[in-house]
Amino acid sequence: MRKIGKLFYTVGFFLVFVLLGSSFSWAQSNVSVEASLSQTTVYTGERVSLSIEISGSFNNVSRPELPQFENFRLLSNNPSTSRSYSYINGQSTVSYTYSYYLIAQKKGDSQLPAVSISIDGKTYTTDPIQVNVIDRNESATSENSSERPDIFLKLEVSDDQPVTGQQIITDVILYFRDGLEVNSYQPVPGWKAEGFWKEELENSGRPRAESTVLDGIRYRKARLLQFSLFPTKSGELEISPYKIVVAVRSARSGNDPFSSFFSGFGSNQREVELSSDPITVDVQPLSPTDGATYLGAVGDFDISRSISTNNALVGESIEIETRVRGSGNIPLISKPNYDLPDGLEIYEPQENMRLNRRNSTISGSKSFTDVIIARSPGNYTIPAKTVSYYNPARDRYISTTLESLTFSIDENPEAMAASEGPGQLPVSPITGLASWITVSPEPADILEIWWFWAGVLIPLITAGAAYWRKLYTDRMQTDTAFARSVKAADKAQQRLQKAIQVSEEGNIKQAYNLLQKAVTGFISDRLNMPEAGLSNQDYIEALKEKGIEENLVKNIRMLLDKCASISYAPNTTHAYLKSHVGLAESTLEKLQKVL
Amino acid sequence: MITNRFTKIFVFLLLIGGFATLSFAQQNAQALFDDANEKLGKGNYQRAISLYQNLKDNNTVSGALFLNMGISYQRIDSLGKAKYYFLKASQFEETEQQAQKALEFVESQFSRQSAVLPKLPWDIATGWMQEHIGAKNILLIGIITLNIGVLIFIAHWFMQAYPKILRIGGLSLIIAALLIITASFYTQYISERYSKAVMVTDQVAVLEEPVEEAPVVSRAYEGYSFTVDHRQSNSQQGWSYVRMSNGLYGWIPNSEILIL
Repeated sequence: MRKIGKLFYTVGFFLVFVLLGSSFSWAQSNVSVEASLSQTTVYTGERVSLSIEISGSFNNVSRPELPQFENFRLLSNNPSTSRSYSYINGQSTVSYTYSYYLIAQKKGDSQLPAVSISIDGKTYTTDPIQVNVIDRNESATSENSSERPDIFLKLEVSDDQPVTGQQIITDVILYFRDGLEVNSYQPVPGWKAEGFWKEELENSGRPRAESTVLDGIRYRKARLLQFSLFPTKSGELEISPYKIVVAVRSARSGNDPFSSFFSGFGSNQREVELSSDPITVDVQPLSPTDGATYLGAVGDFDISRSISTNNALVGESIEIETRVRGSGNIPLISKPNYDLPDGLEIYEPQENMRLNRRNSTISGSKSFTDVIIARSPGNYTIPAKTVSYYNPARDRYISTTLESLTFSIDENPEAMAASEGPGQLPVSPITGLASWITVSPEPADILEIWWFWAGVLIPLITAGAAYWRKLYTDRMQTDTAFARSVKAADKAQQRLQKAIQVSEEGNIKQAYNLLQKAVTGFISDRLNMPEAGLSNQDYIEALKEKGIEENLVKNIRMLLDKCASISYAPNTTHAYLKSHVGLAESTLEKLQKVL
Repeated sequence: MITNRFTKIFVFLLLIGGFATLSFAQQNAQALFDDANEKLGKGNYQRAISLYQNLKDNNTVSGALFLNMGISYQRIDSLGKAKYYFLKASQFEETEQQAQKALEFVESQFSRQSAVLPKLPWDIATGWMQEHIGAKNILLIGIITLNIGVLIFIAHWFMQAYPKILRIGGLSLIIAALLIITASFYTQYISERYSKAVMVTDQVAVLEEPVEEAPVVSRAYEGYSFTVDHRQSNSQQGWSYVRMSNGLYGWIPNSEILIL
């Protein structure tokens, strides 16, 4: 027993040692180095403090390697140092600060270069700092200084022209003149940022006041709160005024920019409600994209997809997790839709979100878990899916292809036994011969069927023709003049043929009578004249009245005269009659065209 | 003479070629169908569905094909698609009875049953004509009646016997023919404008407008039947304007339904 206990303590000690070592090595990587300037707007000849703060867990720190300063002069190469220790949320942090004093020499905007420092053998570099040096003499003549109040609140946004969904950091900054001391502040509830989704950011430590110069007047400014705003639509959106109540005290303070922001309570303390001006942000719309792939994410993300198992039984659940990590509008990200194969039962997806509000940004992860259950055995493949998000820093959409997921489902013996119950489909598959038909992809419009038009047009044409025939028949029966006119040519032709026949029989006189009747009958029928009782002259006159050509009238007159003379002295031949019949035929034919 | 003979041979070869192609296509379809049936029998439903789908995509179909597709989808618990294919199978005489039985069973399996408004008599009549006669056949009847009516009407102009009967008879037939032709056009219009559709996904919102942010009219679940208005739907790509069985109208994404 004693031996076992000893061994247990030895192993326990070893494990604790290993754990401490690993946590130490993890903590080592969590070192941050930050350079700050006591004032970023300074007068020429004014002294400012450059602080290099190292925080985290570390052992050895070398002295910072200072670069050459263009518009500043370093007062001393020997920095003053300070050390602090904090313990927040179970995590301890050591902070070590080097402070140097610089004198501003030349006016204008300049940049304090980066400072390098070696920590535990690894070199860290700070970010450069923008500084504005003002000529003290010029600023003294400024006219706007009297318009600005002693203490005021201001909202400052990181970007006043973001795109829809882009994270913009909004700082609530308190400005107050030297001589005032702010003891405490309390935000007035109910601040709205309509059109934005907002998240308050966490800031470690108390607000620190910095000295700044506004229109030639020395102010101190302190960032009280910080928000992340995400515009949800494009257009001009207004961030409404932010209000706080501050407890402020007038006091004569030395011009020490490093004094605490929260001073002690004094006798002349009063509470003041401050309100910032509203800010208008011009939100730019996102460029059009394929809606099927865009997840609504704006920021910098890493998107991945995984499956809980590649092999399962029928009826067992499988989880497909889609994870989006990074910084940006995480809560506004929507779930990608996957083309799942048939035979899968899909349940309501689950969403999980973790947000980190530190380091002046919203970051974290959001995961979507699709729960699916296969209802039949086989191999299933969820095809690859391309998803995209918008990266404002790179000003373009970033696409990520999620690889296809394959899994196999085996038969579940228990499920098979259960499915043999009474709730079976009462129909069996047809496994024999089937009668096949080939369907046309596009059914024809009935207006394009030929027999439709034939079936409609043929009866219409037939009805039209029949109606015309009916009208003709009716007129022939009821209109005598029309009937005589229509039959005139046939009647005349019959008489002329009869005349030739009679002439061949030797009866010339009768033949000429028939010839005369053919000519006069034709004229009277066509002109609706009485059939008897008219002289040859009457016919000639009637033709003249109708304006018939003179030669034609002359031929008619000659034929009628011939017929009249021969009927009295019939000493002529058959051939002579035939020539007159021929003349009559041609004359009547011409006459028919003009009558 | 030679040209005439050549034409006859050419027509003969064309007919032989046409029949041979048709016969080959049907044999090929039957072979593929047998293969798919084997997969279905072995429980490889995914593969069976894939083979059946190939046949359908080649426009070679049969009642048995749709019935077996419905059974396959029922086996993998995709009841919306099962209902869709049973409805297709019920349009074939040889599988109508089996498909109706299967439809009754599938309908009873849906977790959500919906209220169905009774159809108007006129809609029932139009549906019956569309299903049992077809617009083209109605048109043919109308055209034949029109021709007979016109001939009888013409006859009364020229025939002495029973002119009144011929006139009234002819006019009656012409009027009847015009009504039948109008009915055929209406049936065609209805069949082109409206189609039945079945919801094949789990659930979806039926929306007032064809945009995802639009207000929701109702939620639809797998197996719900809709009447799709193609004329309205053509104006919006990817969306269908549907009438639900309870009389409500709304928009639904095309990917959620299968149109019969």
